[in-house]
Amino acid sequence: MKNNVKIARVQMDMTQAQLAEQTGVTRQTISLIEKGKYNPTLKLCLAICDAVHKSLDELFWIDKEERTDDTKNK
Amino acid sequence: MIQKINDERLKRKNLENTRILFIVQTAGIIGILGYDLVTKGMEGMTGNPLWFVLILTGIVSAYLSMSISVDHESDKKSPKKGFLTSIAVISVIAIGLGVAVTLTADLNTGILIGAIVFICFVVPYFYLYYLRKKQED
Repeated sequence: MKNNVKIARVQMDMTQAQLAEQTGVTRQTISLIEKGKYNPTLKLCLAICDAVHKSLDELFWIDKEERTDDTKNK
Repeated sequence: MIQKINDERLKRKNLENTRILFIVQTAGIIGILGYDLVTKGMEGMTGNPLWFVLILTGIVSAYLSMSISVDHESDKKSPKKGFLTSIAVISVIAIGLGVAVTLTADLNTGILIGAIVFICFVVPYFYLYYLRKKQED
């Protein structure tokens, strides 16, 4: 699913590897989340939110219309 | 040095891989047993320890899928009522089977067969009761 992780990470001036290290996952996982190809668990979502100092809403909320489009793409 | 995998995506991937391994292994076991069945007959097949592995896996899988079935049940059944009904039905079947066996063999065999059938059904029913009871909480 689409999300704003990449924007938030760049705003914090962090690399994927740094975010991965802070959240305890691999860089590939962060990359897949940013591309919207992997749905993280709520636990990992919260860890990412903590790392980039944003709320769940700001990072992962997407409008209903976009959400249905996403399911079609799957 | 082997490191513990903490990445949730990789843990999930690992589980998915295990599923594939399970399919390959089961296919292998069935293949070997099928070969035994053709070359050595039914007794040759059941004599193979792999037969025991296959049966054991089947039983474990049945018990594991019971918890899924209970969660999947749409109508709320009363666990106690369901359990008692099952016990009543299986008692009748076990007694009936025991009596039927007694007619052709001796009384002890009849009691033994009846008891085995009863126990074999009571254990899963009891487990089902336990799962439904747990689900109520």
